[in-house]
Amino acid sequence: MNITLRDVGKRFSTFHLQDINLEVESGAYTVVLGPSGSGKTLLLEMIAGLIPPDRGEIINPNRHIGLIYQDFMLFPHLTVYHNIAYGLKVRKQSGSEIDQRVGEVAGQLGIDHLTGRRIRGLSGGEKQRVAIARAMAIRPDLYLIDEPTASLDLSLKTRTREIFMDLYKKTGATFLHVTHDFKEALSLGDRIVILMDGRIVQDGSPDRVFADPVSRQVADFLGYRNVFRGSIREHQIQVSENLRIQVPARQAERAYIAIRSDEIVLSRRRTKSSARNHFPGTIHRISRGGMTCEIGVDIGIPLSVEITRQSLGEMGLKEEDRVWVSFKVSSIKVFGH
Amino acid sequence: MGKRAFTMLMAVLGAILLLLIFFPVVRIVLSVSPGELLDTLRETEVTASILLTLRASLWATLLAGLFGIPLAYLLARKEFRGKRLIEGLVDLPVIIPHTAAGIALLVVIGRHSLLHRLTSVQLVGTEAAIVLAMFFVSAPFLINGAKEGFRGVDPRYEKTAVTLGASPARAFFSVTFPMARKSVVSGMLMMWGRGISEFGAVVILAYHPKTAPVLIFERFQNFGLDHAVGVTVLLILVSLAIFTGIRYLTRK
Repeated sequence: MNITLRDVGKRFSTFHLQDINLEVESGAYTVVLGPSGSGKTLLLEMIAGLIPPDRGEIINPNRHIGLIYQDFMLFPHLTVYHNIAYGLKVRKQSGSEIDQRVGEVAGQLGIDHLTGRRIRGLSGGEKQRVAIARAMAIRPDLYLIDEPTASLDLSLKTRTREIFMDLYKKTGATFLHVTHDFKEALSLGDRIVILMDGRIVQDGSPDRVFADPVSRQVADFLGYRNVFRGSIREHQIQVSENLRIQVPARQAERAYIAIRSDEIVLSRRRTKSSARNHFPGTIHRISRGGMTCEIGVDIGIPLSVEITRQSLGEMGLKEEDRVWVSFKVSSIKVFGH
Repeated sequence: MGKRAFTMLMAVLGAILLLLIFFPVVRIVLSVSPGELLDTLRETEVTASILLTLRASLWATLLAGLFGIPLAYLLARKEFRGKRLIEGLVDLPVIIPHTAAGIALLVVIGRHSLLHRLTSVQLVGTEAAIVLAMFFVSAPFLINGAKEGFRGVDPRYEKTAVTLGASPARAFFSVTFPMARKSVVSGMLMMWGRGISEFGAVVILAYHPKTAPVLIFERFQNFGLDHAVGVTVLLILVSLAIFTGIRYLTRK
């Protein structure tokens, strides 16, 4: 059954959630994406029934809830076994039932060799799996997951996402996962809900949300690097004294545009293409990432361009090189705010 | 001033303080021969007073634990109107002179008190009065120790326990309390020790039966310094032995 939040409001220390209307579909993987301080954890705790809302109502028909916090919250005075067994013990299951279930989930997560260990001394990845096992043990219909990868190394982040995806596919439970990492949100969610300053500002499929952010703030948060302000006249935005960019909007006194850095084409010479925006510039910065590299090009405004490591090598680009950038009008998002 | 010189200065200042604490203690312990100590130990008045002191303070500590640990938990976890006031109230016995605390308690339980008139219970001069005096002046140590302990336990541990199906009480006893145990025990030890050393409030509520601090004072008053030293050293040694022993047993 779906979880319904109707006009939910809550003021809690520095957080202020307002007008939260949300229907979390049963059996779906929903990701709430928002910067830290947007009230995501508070939202989870309210859905878990741990904190009542000040206003509105929350209908959560799920009885078995697996809540997994960012820092795992493993009970340090108990062994791995007794952490995993905790929920089964309070449910008064028999010793043999508990043994069996703990063995089962520990096996599934590959931590059966750790059950005798204390929590202190486990690695971050091990702790994470113990926390997942502890939640899994009670067979939740609903998983509430709070920033599970925030304190993990990059390699473990990917592994953790796989664990959740696996779990999701195997159990058919409802997943509500909050994160500030848009890559994580895009890779996991069937649906992304963006929470900013205590309000839901956008809600939709990952593709749709990423392709079409509703505001400059959301675009910024989704990793759009090139956000500029200016006034639009006759389909042109004036972003600096002598730089006008063709945009898909006609008129606006004050507007913001965002250009996705992977949709900008970089070349040695001015190329012929259907793109309407062509500008010469100078490379002022090259930062090499893993697969892709970010090139900073000064065209009167600082533009960030993403190209593959391979093209960087092929083009032999270096700092101070003169280059041309081009991008389509359709690759530009225009925001009023 | 260089980093080294600064560290040296800090160390020297600290060392002076440690000297001020240790010198008198070591000096008085060394001033008594083992034979004299054994003689003192054979005096029933002395052993009775030391046992009474330890026992009364233990009772005070247990009572304060029963009522104070829940209060400490509330103060650590909940925000409510008047919380600052209550925290101030808890600390009150630490800042008022202990003789004044004794007088205040005497007004409440003494011969002319409402309690005495209604129930004709005579507390003054009993072990119960000693327990009460110790409780009053040293409970803040337990409450503040436990409060810090509970504050150190992230509330999300409890919330996790609750979502796993535990009742709030179960979450408290199986998660929060064990996690805060070290601070709670440490607070109890501090209170017990503080109770043992209490003189001002105790002497006003009960000159008899004599606790060790009262006995020390009495011997000093009536017979002079030499007669007070034996009991003093014995009390210091017993306290030291018990506290280091418990610290050793409860260490992590």
